Amino acid sequence: MSASQTLESPKKQYLNALRDAIDEELSLNPDLICLGEDIGLLGGAFGVTEGLQAKYGTDRVFDMPISEAAIIGTAVGAALNGKTVMAEMQFIDFISCGFDQIVNMLATYHYRTAGEVSMPIVVRGPAGAYGGGALYHSQMNEAWFCNAPGLKVVCPSTPADAKGLLTASLRDPNPVLFFEIKELYRKREIEEEIPSHHIVRLGEAAIRRFGSDITLVSYGQNVYHCLQAADELVKEGINAEVIDIRTLVPLDEDTIFASLEKTNRLIVVNEAPMTCGFAGEIIARVSEKAFHLLDAPPVRITRLDTPVPWAKPLELHVLPSVEKIVNLAKRLVAF
Amino acid sequence: MTARKSSSQTTLENQPSSSLPSSQLSRADRLQIFNQLYLARYFDIRLIKEKKRGRLRGTLYSSHNQEAILVGSLFGLKPTDWISPIHRDMPAFFLKDARSGLENPNRMGMSIEQVCCQVWGRVDSPGRARDNWSHIGSKEKHIIHSTSMLAGTIPVAAGVMLADRLNGGDAVCLTYNGEGSTAQGVFHEAVNFAAVRKLPVVTIIENNQWAYGTPVSLECPTEDVARRADGYGILGLVADGQDVFDVYDKVMMAVDHARSGLGPSIVECKTFRAYGHGDHDDDRANKYRPNQEVMEGRSRDPIAICRRKLAALGDLDGASETAYWAEGKSASEATNDDFPPEVVEYLERGIQFALNSAVPDGNEGEQWVFADSEVSR
Ligand SMILES: Cc1ncc(C[n+]2csc(CCOP(=O)(O)OP(=O)(O)O)c2C)c(N)n1
Ligand SMILES: [Mg+2]
Repeated sequence: MSASQTLESPKKQYLNALRDAIDEELSLNPDLICLGEDIGLLGGAFGVTEGLQAKYGTDRVFDMPISEAAIIGTAVGAALNGKTVMAEMQFIDFISCGFDQIVNMLATYHYRTAGEVSMPIVVRGPAGAYGGGALYHSQMNEAWFCNAPGLKVVCPSTPADAKGLLTASLRDPNPVLFFEIKELYRKREIEEEIPSHHIVRLGEAAIRRFGSDITLVSYGQNVYHCLQAADELVKEGINAEVIDIRTLVPLDEDTIFASLEKTNRLIVVNEAPMTCGFAGEIIARVSEKAFHLLDAPPVRITRLDTPVPWAKPLELHVLPSVEKIVNLAKRLVAF
Repeated sequence: MTARKSSSQTTLENQPSSSLPSSQLSRADRLQIFNQLYLARYFDIRLIKEKKRGRLRGTLYSSHNQEAILVGSLFGLKPTDWISPIHRDMPAFFLKDARSGLENPNRMGMSIEQVCCQVWGRVDSPGRARDNWSHIGSKEKHIIHSTSMLAGTIPVAAGVMLADRLNGGDAVCLTYNGEGSTAQGVFHEAVNFAAVRKLPVVTIIENNQWAYGTPVSLECPTEDVARRADGYGILGLVADGQDVFDVYDKVMMAVDHARSGLGPSIVECKTFRAYGHGDHDDDRANKYRPNQEVMEGRSRDPIAICRRKLAALGDLDGASETAYWAEGKSASEATNDDFPPEVVEYLERGIQFALNSAVPDGNEGEQWVFADSEVSR
């Protein structure tokens, strides 16, 4: 395998998989337009859209002024007038500047028009901590959007899912908030071959590792922390099952409940802060609907209720880690 | 301090009156405009009466004294043009494309029945009464659905026009905003983007001097709100919002400017909010606004000004056109006799339709959160 990945390389990095999904959809759907900050000429801050403006022209892929509200609002208007839209947030942290347009304008459109108008819009952008991005380039603010009915919320952890879920999102008639994990964008260890026209339906979880003693539920890069923890736990004689939910809204509860039938123990891991985070939502649903399956209290491992600090020891201190998962899992199994 | 005018403003305002767009209007057009002012006024007054009788719920945001802005701006549009009305523009929904005939089911505006169903919260409202008052729209009729978020539809209007141009269209979009709403960040962000891309978005500022309980001097630092246009390098015009023909002229200049690819504009229409912010505020508004200012503001009734212009042109020779005198009258003072019978009948029909339409079934409250999807569970 050559060091530098080319489009011809059979193995894809997460970032290239995203680009392939957008590229394929641009070629298949003449109504698809892409807009965002620096996505045209430059090809995006991380290069997700690199080469796409040259290939499809400035009417299909174009730069917007630095205004998240104008980006989302324009996407809404274009969708109202027949377009499918991919809108990029340069960092998902900046989505807060377009928050009103997302939660009040976009999320509600289908509802308040009693189904007259659907909004085929994907708002995607790089998210997540562990890279020293500090307070404003590290956030996982997915929970804000899970709390706004009308939005689907997606977070892929593998290159194949990045492509398959983005393809599905670009074909969905509903607005989709698509959280990309920037730490995974170019991670060599997870490169994989992906068939063209690969699609992964929204709302279907993936079991990343089978086990019988405890269920670790996660999404995004914490899936890898769970997998590493599972490797550690084997040494202790504990067999953990790892579920990657992939889509937060709609949530595949069934896969979680089915796993708990076997394991009767649950840890949910996410890197967003604890209070009102999505881990709490999963635990609430399990407690309400599958309490009888539990032999131990369901618990969550999340970022502490702090912003994401910059210096490495600070950042690692507040975030979920393999060690935290292993320790808690051992206690739960012994419960 | 007098407001300076941008060079584009001066050029347009210096045009001799014979070249003004309104000079091309026929007598029939002018009479129709006069009639539409009555229709808008009657709608307002009648709803207030209905509310006082306890026959409808929700707040009413009166367009009384501001009707010339709606009538004058809508009259010259092409049927396929888009509009984006807000809370004070309720008559815009049925006045859009009224020129194609109020009774014409194919016209690119809403029927009075639909609008009344919305006001009464009935299932035959375009939005099936899922949101209140002016929060309706129609993709088919080219009316953008508003939310409560002030200035929030301007970027949407920009997006609609962007898509229109990508599709090879030649529509323009009128967005309506209060002067207070121009303080919103999204106003700037959207107008800036529209300016950069020369999108045909005409932003009409209904400067009624008050944003709820706050005077314009605390919302905007310049005498003319239209001067905000200078910062975007776009056309900024000021119209006398009480003179339907001046509104028509300025909006048509802006519309032609937009349609010919020269970009967006801001058309400020100076007017005055005659009563409270909403009907809940009528009593308090009498206290926080000086009586003198209110009396002066109400003194230039757009119907009276239109009547004078029509009289001067000799349009009003028949008895029928001079028989009705709604101008200067409040909702409690005016009666049906102050309005042309066809205006009263038109609204009456809408109200009866609404009263016979069902309220939505409670179960609909959980419907339509999402559209059906083939790629999602
Ligand atoms: C973003 C936002 N903030 C506050 C409000 C509450 N609000 C509704 S109307 C209004 C005043 C608007 O004034 P203006 O823009 O001048 O319009 P007018 O009502 O005078 O026509 C306010 C503060 C709102 N609807 N949206
Ligand atoms: Mg105002």
